[in-house]
Amino acid sequence: MLPFNFAILKLFLSVEEADADQVMTQLTDEYHKSRQFKKSSVIEALMTAEANGLLEETRFDLDAEEQLHVYYRATAEGRTMIETYIGK
Amino acid sequence: MSSQLAREKKTQLARSFFVKGISVATLSGMMYGLYSAFITYAMGEGVWSGWYAENTVLTMFVVVYVLGVLGSGINDTISAVWAIGIAAVKGKLMDFFRCFKTKPGLVMIICAVVGGPIASAAYIISLQMAGSIIIPITALCPALGALLGRILFKQKLNGRMIIGILVCLTATLMIGWSSLQEGAQEGALLGCIIALVAALGWAVEGCVAGFGTTVIDYEIGITIRQVTSGVVNLVIFLPIVCIIGGNILLAPELTFAAFTSGPSMIFFVVSGFFALFAYSLWYKGNSMCGTALGMACNGAYSFWGPFFCWLVLGVFFGQSGWALEPIAWVAAIVMFLGILLIAVNPLDWFKKKNTDATEEAV
Repeated sequence: MLPFNFAILKLFLSVEEADADQVMTQLTDEYHKSRQFKKSSVIEALMTAEANGLLEETRFDLDAEEQLHVYYRATAEGRTMIETYIGK
Repeated sequence: MSSQLAREKKTQLARSFFVKGISVATLSGMMYGLYSAFITYAMGEGVWSGWYAENTVLTMFVVVYVLGVLGSGINDTISAVWAIGIAAVKGKLMDFFRCFKTKPGLVMIICAVVGGPIASAAYIISLQMAGSIIIPITALCPALGALLGRILFKQKLNGRMIIGILVCLTATLMIGWSSLQEGAQEGALLGCIIALVAALGWAVEGCVAGFGTTVIDYEIGITIRQVTSGVVNLVIFLPIVCIIGGNILLAPELTFAAFTSGPSMIFFVVSGFFALFAYSLWYKGNSMCGTALGMACNGAYSFWGPFFCWLVLGVFFGQSGWALEPIAWVAAIVMFLGILLIAVNPLDWFKKKNTDATEEAV
């Protein structure tokens, strides 16, 4: 089992794009019991990764309940870094 | 309408992330000030008061170098205990063990050794060799960090940000000005070179470990940092310094005496607590708003250090000699302006004002 932050970033090697909710859904089985498994933690991890060039924003929209969804994908450099430091 | 609302919400999210980053980085500087005040007090209580007394049985070498390393090692070890406890409460302890044996974990360990024992030792040695003339050299650390961030991680660093960093550097010099006037002492040149090692060490730590917390959770990162720094200081570095001082047995003897000295340990518990947040928020701030801005906000410790020493040691504990000179307050304002210059482009404010005025006219 990977550390939670590692798992969040590694997920972007296998998906075109994802927002915080999709990340949560993908990681539910493995991490739902962890106290770190919170949407706010995921959003902060994604925004930090974006601020450091590992991820980039692809689009954003509102759902029926007017909740904001921001979608990200791995940058070329981010992909290399995730593969090098976390694994393929 | 929907896309307008989405844009507004997105802007709000980005703004709150930016403000949180700056707040976290600024808070790290304040925590550093509190940690400095309490470790200074701890190293004057219990057995330490006898060790630092005029009629001490210890040699000058031991007083200057060995006690410095011991104090730093005890503080970081206590801080590591705090970090492990907090990680456990937040359910991150297993991730700490998992991260330890990974590549990012190894990078964190290297950063901890470079920024912990190596940079701290270089700082203590340079201070002893060259005196306070080294302060402006170690104050270069945010500028070096920003430069490294640009080179290693292609982080943003433009002319405006460089001017902002220079303004912060000027503010730090203003605070250290009175001690600078004491002039250079013998061995100053070598001392200055060693001080540059300290500045580089902290710059590397702030830049690389800050970026590292993009991959590793910052609370796990700081646990790795404090455990590494505490162990390396007490188990490796302290014996080496004692061997240089001519008596390796001093290492266990002084360590035992210090750990069993209740009156000082109480305050090490407090200083270790603040050190934990000083470093963890430093890493987090750097990862959230980039090394240049993060380290500039944290660099305000050159004001918060004397400020909290005055408040805690002077006002609260009634010790003399901690009064804050008026120039420090002026320097704090200058530093705030420098940080503001790094964070935002003043021209954008004017542009926004003009746009608002035009919209109102329409």
